Amino acid sequence: MRRYNITRSINTPRGAMHHIALIGALLCAICLGGCEKALDLPEEKEFISENINYGSKLLEPIIGRTNLMGQFNSDNSSLPLTFEIVNARYGDGRPVTDLFEVRPTYVWIDAYDGEEASLEEIEAKRRLEDRPLFEVRESGQFILWASTTNELIGPRPTDSSNLVQDIRHFDLKVSNSGGEVYLADFQLVPWRERPYFPYNDINPYTGEPAPDPIDPRNPNKQDYIRPRLSGVVGANSNNFLVSNNERKDVVVYIRPFEGGNGHNLRFKFMANDSTFINPDEFNETNWNELVHGFNTEKTEEYVQYDVAYPIPLVNIQTPYTNGGSASVNIEYSRRGFGGGLIYASFGLDFNIYRPGDWEIVFHFKNELPKFEDE
Amino acid sequence: MNNLTNNTFNMKTIHVIFACVAFLVTGYVQAQTNVTVTGNVIDENRQPLGGVTVLVGKPPRALGTTDENGNFRFTVPANAPLVFRIIGYQQASQNTGSGRTNLRVQMAPDASALEEVVIRGYQKRSKELSTGSSFSLTAKDLPDVPTANIESLLQGRVPGMNIQLNTGAPGFRGSTQIRGLSTVSMTGSGDQSFLQPTSPLYVIDGIPMDADRATEYGFQQQGPGMSPLSLIPQEDIASIEILKDAQATSLYGSMAAYGVIIITTKRGNSPIPRVRYTHNSFVRTPPKLRETLGGNLERQLKLQQIYGNALDYFDIWRISQTGFLSDSLNAYWNNSTNWQDYYYRSRYNQSHNLHIDGGDQLFNYKANLGYFTDQGIIENTGFTRYNANLRMEYQPADRRFQIIGAAFAQMGKQSIGDGVGMLQTGIAENGLSSTLLPPPSFYQAGGSHSSALSTDNDNATRLIRSNLEANYMFIEGLRASTSLSYEFESKTEDTFTPAVANNQFARVYSYNGRTTQLYNRNSLNYSTSLNDSHNLFINFFNEFRIAGRQSSVSRQERSPNDQLQGPIGFDGYYSRGGGLLDDYTDERSASFAFAASYDFQKKYVVDLSYRLDGSSANGFENLYARNPAIGLRWNFDKEAFFENSEWLDYGALRMSWGVNIIPTGTLERIYGRFDITGNYNGQQGIGLDFDQIPNPDLKPKTNTQYNLGLDFSLFNGKIEVIYDTYYKKVENELFEQLLPNTTGFNKLFSNGAGIANYGHELFLMMRPLPLSSDFSLSFSLTGAYNKDVLLTLPEHYGGQFIRWEFDQNEHLQHVILRVGGSTLANYLRINDGVFPTDADVPVDPVTGLRYQTNGVAFAGGDPMLRDLNGDYILDGNDYRRTGNSQPLFTGGASIMLTYKNFNFNLNGSITGKRTILNNALAQRLGLMGNPFGNRAVVPLNDVDMWRQAGDVATYPYAYDYRRYGYIQPFRFDQNLWAEDGSYFKINNIVIGYMFDRDWISRWGLANLRVYVSGENLHTFSRYSGPNPENVTNMGRDVSSGYPVPRTYNLGLSVEF
Repeated sequence: MRRYNITRSINTPRGAMHHIALIGALLCAICLGGCEKALDLPEEKEFISENINYGSKLLEPIIGRTNLMGQFNSDNSSLPLTFEIVNARYGDGRPVTDLFEVRPTYVWIDAYDGEEASLEEIEAKRRLEDRPLFEVRESGQFILWASTTNELIGPRPTDSSNLVQDIRHFDLKVSNSGGEVYLADFQLVPWRERPYFPYNDINPYTGEPAPDPIDPRNPNKQDYIRPRLSGVVGANSNNFLVSNNERKDVVVYIRPFEGGNGHNLRFKFMANDSTFINPDEFNETNWNELVHGFNTEKTEEYVQYDVAYPIPLVNIQTPYTNGGSASVNIEYSRRGFGGGLIYASFGLDFNIYRPGDWEIVFHFKNELPKFEDE
Repeated sequence: MNNLTNNTFNMKTIHVIFACVAFLVTGYVQAQTNVTVTGNVIDENRQPLGGVTVLVGKPPRALGTTDENGNFRFTVPANAPLVFRIIGYQQASQNTGSGRTNLRVQMAPDASALEEVVIRGYQKRSKELSTGSSFSLTAKDLPDVPTANIESLLQGRVPGMNIQLNTGAPGFRGSTQIRGLSTVSMTGSGDQSFLQPTSPLYVIDGIPMDADRATEYGFQQQGPGMSPLSLIPQEDIASIEILKDAQATSLYGSMAAYGVIIITTKRGNSPIPRVRYTHNSFVRTPPKLRETLGGNLERQLKLQQIYGNALDYFDIWRISQTGFLSDSLNAYWNNSTNWQDYYYRSRYNQSHNLHIDGGDQLFNYKANLGYFTDQGIIENTGFTRYNANLRMEYQPADRRFQIIGAAFAQMGKQSIGDGVGMLQTGIAENGLSSTLLPPPSFYQAGGSHSSALSTDNDNATRLIRSNLEANYMFIEGLRASTSLSYEFESKTEDTFTPAVANNQFARVYSYNGRTTQLYNRNSLNYSTSLNDSHNLFINFFNEFRIAGRQSSVSRQERSPNDQLQGPIGFDGYYSRGGGLLDDYTDERSASFAFAASYDFQKKYVVDLSYRLDGSSANGFENLYARNPAIGLRWNFDKEAFFENSEWLDYGALRMSWGVNIIPTGTLERIYGRFDITGNYNGQQGIGLDFDQIPNPDLKPKTNTQYNLGLDFSLFNGKIEVIYDTYYKKVENELFEQLLPNTTGFNKLFSNGAGIANYGHELFLMMRPLPLSSDFSLSFSLTGAYNKDVLLTLPEHYGGQFIRWEFDQNEHLQHVILRVGGSTLANYLRINDGVFPTDADVPVDPVTGLRYQTNGVAFAGGDPMLRDLNGDYILDGNDYRRTGNSQPLFTGGASIMLTYKNFNFNLNGSITGKRTILNNALAQRLGLMGNPFGNRAVVPLNDVDMWRQAGDVATYPYAYDYRRYGYIQPFRFDQNLWAEDGSYFKINNIVIGYMFDRDWISRWGLANLRVYVSGENLHTFSRYSGPNPENVTNMGRDVSSGYPVPRTYNLGLSVEF
């Protein structure tokens, strides 16, 4: 009786085993090894679209503050993309180099939230880094850092001309591992520095005082920053004080002053005779929470703080800001007819971009506010 | 005892020994008295073996064949030796001496499985000569598990055929793919987005049938949407053959581009009429449902959540405005309703099948009458099938002429409640209601709940098909045959929505559709042999088909009351319908095919075939699609160097190439669509419809396939291997391009998309135990590795196309196609975990702002969604290609163990390496988004969730409801939900016992078998969702649709 005998298989003719082995090896070679190459399949690579673009190729940043610009549309190219500014030149072909000068500038390393209890705490959340004045980041957004000044980067001509030889042009190389795309002929036309906001007292082209909106050709008149006024009554006229194009009972100056420690901010209240009103007159004002400042110093002429610039530091809502701007409100009260308290206030939403010693002066040009009770 | 040991002998020995035994035992030769011999033939697994030819005398004369249960009964001369023959087994013989009239014969398998018959181009061919790649299963390979859809029994059994039972809805089919992805066309959106079905062509008893008929228009189709496959009872199936490569399929033409599944039903085969009754009683149980906190626990949790996360007094005040949080003493709010319990339930079902057959080769007949019901684990759903299949064959003794007639009458009834069938998302939505709400009652006439439970939906599909086939052999080798079939299918759907479920107005909906197919095939084939060395087979056939479809819908709004369910009395202003739906079809097709096969000594085989397919649906530019194929085969076991091999039973190497062309250019796509648009100068205007731009250059889709295969069997069938590797290229795939509105058109159908699939398939079968053992064990493994690559896209896309999804559920799970990568990937946000503390949220160095979305900064406990473009804002740009929704590996394992009268059968299936988006978990966690809402709450103890600052967790904090709308921590479009969907599922286990024949014969039974079986018993998976199979073919979890139930069955098969 024959049985299945596995050992017998070893005794089969060599040729047969040889053939089987050969076929097996052949199959394995075909199937497992060179298969994918032999099939000539397309290689998978990252996608980069020919249609990537920007909302606008004209960039108009303001010198002296951090600008984040550019509406990049990747058209679903594989992210992240690498951006490189190439071929920076003026319209007449001269190379542009001033944009890429490296200067220290503040970058944030932690989130400012408005609850910091000291300047050191604020400064711990940012640090100075050496950055080119103008660069593009991974998101395709362009950055003009706050370290720029009118001297480092020449702003657009003061005569508001827009000649091609004055415009900085550059191309952008966008790439990922799937390829690269060039976007040509970006234009960079910076505005000159405006150290503060509101800036309606400055001509943005020249930096000179802005003309009066009612009488623009009169060189003896200019426009002023106007405060917010609510219930402030003139001491003489007994009328509500107003500040508009026609009548300016109160104007504001935002100006540097001498003698500070380099990061002071002062509030002053100037009377019509150019003397200063004692801040204590504004008896309802919460001086300690007026701005995010420290070491409040109150004299008869001013209230002064140690602050961190720019003001506000970050575009968020805090007790000191309305989001994008710092917001101050100076309040006082007096007795009205019948003995009830009447509240009055005035204030300003402002930004200051350039570090230094700044004072904000509320100038009561025509008459003092009325502090007396009725 | 003799016959057992004899099995190990070779044929010649058997002959000799039996002759001797017969002579010695009987001792004398009885006179010509006749005795009636009954008996039973079993195979190596002790399973009854039907169709065994029984011969008697010398020279052997055929008496007939055994029946399906292996029984036979013949009157033969006493002491005459009986010989048993069947293809695939060694010949066995028995003697009828000493009054032995009841015989038990066990057949040993013939090592050469190659003598099996395969079907190619409607012709039976020896498997030994087939060059294409195919796989066969017979009735005994199908487990005894009651099912509405026979496809589910094939899961994991066929290498390269990926079947996913992605819906548990009774009467619906899952998805079936042979050799990977064949399309990039998608329809639907969100959870319900799915690939255009590319099901194989089903050929049932020689008549092609379109299995996608029901699902052509997606999940949301109108009409019953019952799968035509659900109408075939599994008891009536004799064999199933799956054709995979283009050599095998090209003869079936365009419809066969995605493979062919040939189903052959049983035929009569018993000289004495026999009746077999099969019964199954089974319980379907819903899977584990979502755990929900009930009653006061829900209230407490919601209050805790509000107290813990309120931002201001407003939230606390709002509690007092929210009745079920503050007014716990109010009976209306003081409940603990288990809503899921009202919808999901266990159901007891049964099936009955009566199979009557009789006859021999001259004339035989069969009737199969069946009833099957599956009431569905979701309330108000169910499926019932009635069938009567009849068949007869007549073939005079000279075998020159044969006529076969068959009639199939099938009816499926179905209820889908107020859902859409495959998906019952409405139910899942209702199941999420707060437990504090009062339970359903007449008083609480809530819309969606009443709608789910009291909508009266009645679907029916009635199918009648008759086949008539005749063939005649003119001269030896030349045979002509003709086949005619007519099929009529009527589909109706009647839905009555009572007033309580539809804003106090009852509604009647009615769908009425029919499809017809007249099919005719004529063929002429010739086979000849020269010197027994050169064999030639030529087959020419043509096919004609007239297919029609027409359906209409009417909807009557505001019928008078709940008792009057139409057709009179309704509000004509709001009612709609009566016209034809746009699925109207009247297609004529004609096909001509030619196939030639040549072999030299059955050693070297060459197959050539060519087919032309013409259809009235094609444009005139491409009226005929051409499908050529070449196949080569080398049976190397027949070579001289293997001649004396003891260990190699057979071995063959196959190579093939073939093309299937699928016309996609419908008349509308090529010539545009013209509408009657109005008057111009008093003339009726007919203008072009501006939806799509006509494209006369549309090319047909081309499937090209190369296949290399190796088959061998070793050690007398102890090891059997089928290996195939293939490369399939789909070109000119139809691609719908959306056009810019400046063109004046919405879309253009163009070519330009292409996919490649390549992979390996292996079937390994082992029968380790010797035949002499009381145990018999066969163990088979199937495995298929398939990789798909997107080859091309229309040129102007530059290599990437994103299918954006903006569905009402805001899933936003986009699909991306990128050339060179796996075809279907997700386009999602990348989740890197959870921010442990606020300080971990990055700060933009330029602006000083924290990383934010929707204007709100991220904080500790929020998802760490990667800022891909680096602008410190999470927005619509931060998406990336990730994952692959198609499985790389599919396969299965099957064990068949027999011991004496017991048998055990286990089937499992594997799906490996695919990405599933766990939308079930996303939804579950998202339930916590609004504690004031009327949704249920779920325990989250098992979830690795951030709970306090510093926690390093997988899932973000679920309870911060105030910021929920901005941060959207559980947004669906993030790869937090992308999980590996690999699983191993125990499809079914069957344990059966066959009663001893002697013992049951006293009750007049010929055969009695009882079995217990279970289906969908357990799934092993690391997937954290409910079921890794209950996902769409795009890999989205749809367990909120129709969950796949577990089945326990008690069955009985009795034969008289």
